[in-house]
Amino acid sequence: MSTNQDATSTLGLSFVGSMTASISHELKNVLAIVNENAGLLEDLALLAEKGRPLSSERLKTMSGNIRRQVQRADDIILRLNRFAHSTHEPTASIELGEVFEFTAALVARLATMRSVTVTVVMDAPVVVPLRPFVLENLLWLCLKNIFAVTQGERAVRLGAQSSDGQVVITLDPGEGLPLTDIEAQVVSEGQALLAALRSEVSVDHEHHLLRLSLPQGQ
Amino acid sequence: MRVLLVDDEEELVSTLAERLAMRGIEASWVTDYRGALAQVEQEKFDIALLDVRLPEMNGLELKRLLAERCPAMKFIFLTGHGSEEDFRACSAESGKEYYLIKPVQIEVLVAKLNEIFQQ
Repeated sequence: MSTNQDATSTLGLSFVGSMTASISHELKNVLAIVNENAGLLEDLALLAEKGRPLSSERLKTMSGNIRRQVQRADDIILRLNRFAHSTHEPTASIELGEVFEFTAALVARLATMRSVTVTVVMDAPVVVPLRPFVLENLLWLCLKNIFAVTQGERAVRLGAQSSDGQVVITLDPGEGLPLTDIEAQVVSEGQALLAALRSEVSVDHEHHLLRLSLPQGQ
Repeated sequence: MRVLLVDDEEELVSTLAERLAMRGIEASWVTDYRGALAQVEQEKFDIALLDVRLPEMNGLELKRLLAERCPAMKFIFLTGHGSEEDFRACSAESGKEYYLIKPVQIEVLVAKLNEIFQQ
C-alpha cells in the first residue's frame, strides 16, 4: 500500500468514526422517544385500571408517534447501510448531485448541532468517474472546518459545474467566514484525499466560495 | 420539586414531563439553551436535566450559565453516547456521577431526582 493510500485510509477511518458516532446518537434518541411513549402507554393503562378514562384519540396519537420513530430509525439505518457500502465501492461514473445529497443527509445532525443547514443546488447533472467515499470524505473535511468557525445560523450550498474537461465543486457558506483559513486546514488535513481525486482546493473571494477543482476524466 | 428538562428532541422531553407530572414532579421543558436561559428567568427550578449534546451550546456549557444564574440549582446530565469521555466530563461538571444514559427508565430518573433533591 502506498503512503497516500495509507493516509487516505486513516482519514477514511476517522470519517467513518465521526459518522457512526453521530448516527448512534440519533438512534439512541429514537430509542429514548419510543421508550417514553411505551412508558406513557403503560402509565395510562395503569390509570385506566384505576378508573380514569382512556381516550382512543390519545392512543392513536401515541401509536402514530411510535410508528413515526420506527420510520425515522429505518431511514437512519438505510443511510448507515449505504454509507457502509460506499467505503468499498470502486471508481465508477458518479453523478455529483447524488453524492452531495447523500453527504448532506449524512452530516445533517452534526450540521444542526452548529445551526447549519447543508443544501444541494445543481443546475445540471455532472458525472465524474471517482470513488464516492473519497469525495464524501473530502466534502466532510470541508464542511467540518466550516462548521468549526460558524457562529449563529448559516446555510451552506453545495454545487458543481463542468466545462472544458474540468469539474468545479463549490461550497457556498455565505459571507463572513475565514475561507483562507478553512482552505489551509483542508489542504493540511486532506492532502491524501485531494491527491487521490487529483483535486485542488481554492477560495473564490469575490463570491465567498470554497472551490474543489478536479479533472472530469479521472 | 420543580425540574427543568432540556433536550432538542421535543417529543422526548414533553413525554418525560407528562410522566414526571403523573409521579408528582412538576417539570417544564425546552429544546435549546436559549429556552433554558429564558425559562430560569421566569420560574425557579430545583434541578435541571440537561442533554449533553445540545445544538449550538452543549449541556456542560449550559450548566455553567445556569449555575451562575441559579446557584442553588442542581444538575443531572442525560447522554446518548454513554462514552467514557462523556462520563468523565459529566462527573467533573456535576461534582458526582449525576448522569443518565438514554433511554432512561422513569423509576431510575425519579429515584435520582429524589436523591439529589433531598441532599
